Amino acid sequence: MSVIPIRSSSSVRCTVNGRPVALEVRPEALLLDVLRDRLELKGARRSCDMQVCGACTVLVDGAPVSACTYLAVEVDGREVTTVEGLADGDRLHPLQEAFIDHGAVQCGFCTAGMLLTAKALLAEDPSPTSERVAEYLRGSLCRCTGYRKILDAILACATPKVAAG
Amino acid sequence: MTGHPGVFRIVGQSVRRTDALEKVTGRARYLSDMELPGMAHARLLRSPYAHARLLRVDVGAAREVPGVYAVLAASDLTFCDPFYGPALRDRPLLATEVVRYEGEPVVAVAAVDEATAAEALDLVEVEYEELPAVTTLEEALAPGAPVVHTGEPLAGHFSDLSSLRAKPGTNICHQFDYTRGDVAAALTGAHLVLEDTYTFPRVQHYSMEPHGALAQWDDEGGLAVWAATQNPFSVRSELAKMFALNASRIRIAVPLLGGGFGGKTYAKLEPLAAALARVARRPVRLLASVEDAFRTVRRCSARVRLTLALHRDGRIAALACEADFDIGAYADIAPRVIQKGTYTTTGPYRVPHVKLHSNAVYTNTTPGGAFRGFGVPQLVWGVESMMDVAADRLGRDPVDLRRQNLLAHGEEFAPGDTPVDGKLEESLGRLAEAIQWSTAAAPGRAKGIAAMMKASVAPSVSEAIVRLHADGSANVLVSTVEMGQGARTVMAQIAAEVLALPLDRIRVVPPDTSITPYDQTSSSSRSTTMVGRAVQEAAQDVVDQLRKIAAEMLSEPAARLTVLDGAVVSDEHRLAYPDLLDHHFGMRGGELIGRGVVAPGRTKAALGGSTPFWEVAMGGAEITLDEETGAIAIESYASVSDVGRCINPQQCEAQDEGAVMQGLGHTLLEEMVYEGGQLLNADLAGYRVPRAGDLPPHLETLFVENGDGAGPFGAKGVGEGGLIPVSPAVGNALARLTGVRMRELPMTPERVWRALRARTRPTTNP
Amino acid sequence: MLRPFALHRPATVAEASEILAQEGRDAALYAGGTELLVILKEGLLRVKSLVDVKRLPGLADIRADDGHLLIGATATHRTVEHAPEVHARCPLIARVARHVANVRVRSVGTVGGNLAFADPHSDLATVFLLFDAKVRLSARAGERELALGDFVVGPYETSRRDEEILTSVRLLPWPAGTAGAYVKYGLHERPTLGVAVALTVAGGAVRGARIAVGCVGPRPQRLAGAEGRLGGWSLADVERRAEEVGAEAAAAVDAVDDLHGSAEYKRDMTRVFVRRALLVAAGRAAGRESHERHPHTVVV
Repeated sequence: MSVIPIRSSSSVRCTVNGRPVALEVRPEALLLDVLRDRLELKGARRSCDMQVCGACTVLVDGAPVSACTYLAVEVDGREVTTVEGLADGDRLHPLQEAFIDHGAVQCGFCTAGMLLTAKALLAEDPSPTSERVAEYLRGSLCRCTGYRKILDAILACATPKVAAG
Repeated sequence: MTGHPGVFRIVGQSVRRTDALEKVTGRARYLSDMELPGMAHARLLRSPYAHARLLRVDVGAAREVPGVYAVLAASDLTFCDPFYGPALRDRPLLATEVVRYEGEPVVAVAAVDEATAAEALDLVEVEYEELPAVTTLEEALAPGAPVVHTGEPLAGHFSDLSSLRAKPGTNICHQFDYTRGDVAAALTGAHLVLEDTYTFPRVQHYSMEPHGALAQWDDEGGLAVWAATQNPFSVRSELAKMFALNASRIRIAVPLLGGGFGGKTYAKLEPLAAALARVARRPVRLLASVEDAFRTVRRCSARVRLTLALHRDGRIAALACEADFDIGAYADIAPRVIQKGTYTTTGPYRVPHVKLHSNAVYTNTTPGGAFRGFGVPQLVWGVESMMDVAADRLGRDPVDLRRQNLLAHGEEFAPGDTPVDGKLEESLGRLAEAIQWSTAAAPGRAKGIAAMMKASVAPSVSEAIVRLHADGSANVLVSTVEMGQGARTVMAQIAAEVLALPLDRIRVVPPDTSITPYDQTSSSSRSTTMVGRAVQEAAQDVVDQLRKIAAEMLSEPAARLTVLDGAVVSDEHRLAYPDLLDHHFGMRGGELIGRGVVAPGRTKAALGGSTPFWEVAMGGAEITLDEETGAIAIESYASVSDVGRCINPQQCEAQDEGAVMQGLGHTLLEEMVYEGGQLLNADLAGYRVPRAGDLPPHLETLFVENGDGAGPFGAKGVGEGGLIPVSPAVGNALARLTGVRMRELPMTPERVWRALRARTRPTTNP
Repeated sequence: MLRPFALHRPATVAEASEILAQEGRDAALYAGGTELLVILKEGLLRVKSLVDVKRLPGLADIRADDGHLLIGATATHRTVEHAPEVHARCPLIARVARHVANVRVRSVGTVGGNLAFADPHSDLATVFLLFDAKVRLSARAGERELALGDFVVGPYETSRRDEEILTSVRLLPWPAGTAGAYVKYGLHERPTLGVAVALTVAGGAVRGARIAVGCVGPRPQRLAGAEGRLGGWSLADVERRAEEVGAEAAAAVDAVDDLHGSAEYKRDMTRVFVRRALLVAAGRAAGRESHERHPHTVVV
């Protein structure tokens, strides 16, 4: 049986954007705060703080997670991807390029969450319909764009469906 | 998307936003990303009661907690004037004697971290004596109602509001009247007189980034504040008054904002951050949560009684309005909101007789302030609904009735104010075409339209500086705040166009009152027009200086010289900017500075200044209805905005798409629910904002570009218009589909369901 | 921001139960945390310890169990959505799991956590009622099994004793010839109304009907009276008379006023959506899929 006593820390070893990270974290430390304050990865942001808006979205072993409501200790042994891990050096991820090209970025506060959620969607479903994208983005809010250009950008990155026959 | 190839080089092109890369990579920095060495974290204790006397506030134990740097209650604020507010200085930093709304800050703490601050607040003891609260207009306006404010507040810093007209002994903190002609006589002579009342709900901006401020005092008693604010100069003015400082000793710097929509105008958290930093003797960062934002500012709700009179031939004879705006517990900028909204009750129409009156009414709820539309949505919801009622009663087509009454290009809107600067009929025509108005909707569908016209804030001042460096690159210094609208990109485009430089040789520096010159506000759809013109002038000033230098070098008249590709050119010569500067200064160094000032000043117009442009927008909705549930679906929506010139067409589209969806929010989904003074849905679990699934299958944004605006290259403003016609367009469509006229927003399924049931039941009240 | 707490990671149910017995209300069970961490952040609950059940053996399992489907308490919604055993035995449940909350909650939130939190505005409990769901509650003293209807007793209230851990839920797959549907309706983040129906059809007639309505009242309900009406009906009868069943359901359902709407509205929506759900199920029994779309409605 193990316990991390109150106000003590435990070791967390994980990879973040492909690089190994070792940290001591308290049980109550939220992944969002550890990423932002200890690893200086500010792309994930705090908005609603209750898993509704998606501004804090990061990927844990490829699955989208609300970092604002996720204990940092849970990433031990796992792979975390933040928006900072999308680009390959100076080469932007196609989704990042598409967001820029389609004008899908305004204030930018939702953008990191949108990009990572879109990445997870396309990994699961490379050729989603517009409706499927909107459904998958149920938990990804934006107050500036009205979503039109975000949907366009994501669909532009979808793999065209191969015609049958 | 349109461009103007061959006319302008960069203006009119949908260039990439200059901040897009940092935003998609996560490198963009907002207030909550900023830290200073030794910075303390602040938290607030907020009142659980809507109205209560503060009997006792005991912070002694809180002060003793290790790691706590400052704990403030009202009695500790001896070092500043604790009252602020842009219209009335009625709002205390911390509640003094009385709390006036649930969520009002009572105690503020700055500590080494959030956990310690929270711990300290746990130890604060506050004793309240609950008082009766007024939380609806009916309650607040009832004779003998408890008053939210008993004292005499000082006037704020807007001179057009120096004549605030409260009704003493009541909850009316300001009244606005505007009259033209003789409405009483016009009503008796009219063929059709319609009277009705429409209400607009309490809604919240929900910028995804809540408010925040980071304050730091320097050793000489100067103050620096990094603030998520839309108008740093207003904040500076407020802090100067509160802390008795010269403007020159205050610096307000503004990072990128994660949305604003008006909710971040005028001082919000900055004064508290500054007060805490003063006592803590270290920088203090105060961040609001989304729940805090719901208790900081909202839109003013309204109940609007309208009388619309028309002649038999369809001309509008008269329009009268009695509007009560629920402005919450503190005035913020609500007195101006009621004026602005009421002044343009007549919208884009010619109305010879007008009698308009509105009240700004205090209630014990979250203070109402500026929100995209600024009082106009509340009026347009009613007026545009009634235009359709009028069309129905006169047997006229709604588009045709409106067309008949539209003001003409160049016609006077009101004495002293700017004449109409657009071809309104063209906008209406483009809209009708976009939604195929002349083709009947399919069975089970209906279409509805609405039109609006809004003034921009006046008088106002915007200044710009352009610095051309020795290497031929340039900085643009303006205080326009980037909150998503793309203004910083647009300023770069304007400068690049005038200076004949590529976009990547221009950088617009972030707003900072110690560096960038005065701009009144990034709101009121005004930045492209007003600041953009200042940038255009400043860039032109630099160009004129360059031509003068070249003229002297070439012994040619400056009038024969133009700029092209980073050089001054004549028929035979080409002098690159660095060479010109080198010659002028006798060395590789120095810079040319250009200045632009746009300050139209006061005029005889009713609101103190003439609008720099008229914002005109129209919208058309095609809807279906699930009659059994009452749920409306917008299948198709078209928005037309007369923008004069799109500096960046893609960003104009982006703004209007966002505006339409935000309008869909208050039309179908959003409302703040109060029960006995308690806000029940101050978070995203209970407050429903539009999601991707709410986007209409067809959404089109169209722009009328006649180059007839006062802004650079004939531009006008954009950003608010798209939001305003949504609710009446949908309400009108619903009426055409079902015969049911909604007067309350949002048109949630249950509200529509009730209205549909009432339709089939006979009523005693007509 | 969360206040400090200790994090226990027991290796056995007995250890977990022991901690709960010792700490009482100072401890909270923790799996995905999608409900717990939010109420802790909001200050609606204060605890000194979290007891993490994710390392307890077998709690994440999804498997067949003597003709039943067993879903371990710490199985996430996402796992349930993709699990072959669920698709094989209780496919409606897999499809419903895909529509719970949003994709992030589904990645992390668990079936056990969802049932134990007992938020009335939830999907799973309503659907599980159609599968004679029984929850297993384990403690150091022993185990017991409770029908779901006896477990969820009210809003946010279950009959779990302090030292018990919900370890699994057992579901009885439908007999052959059963077609079902789950329809949820609502504007808000959580559903306003959830209707689960199943029709067992043999020889052209309804031999068994199941109807559960959730979200509108303190807890989800099976509506036996409404179910009884359908006995012996042909599919054509169902299409013609589903409205009657809806009306009976509306009269029987326990509805409350809240931010989602008035009780009156919810009762009428029960009528509408019980009818609509029955029509979908009847269509499926006949091999037809409905493509009707209604605003704010998800048909599973």
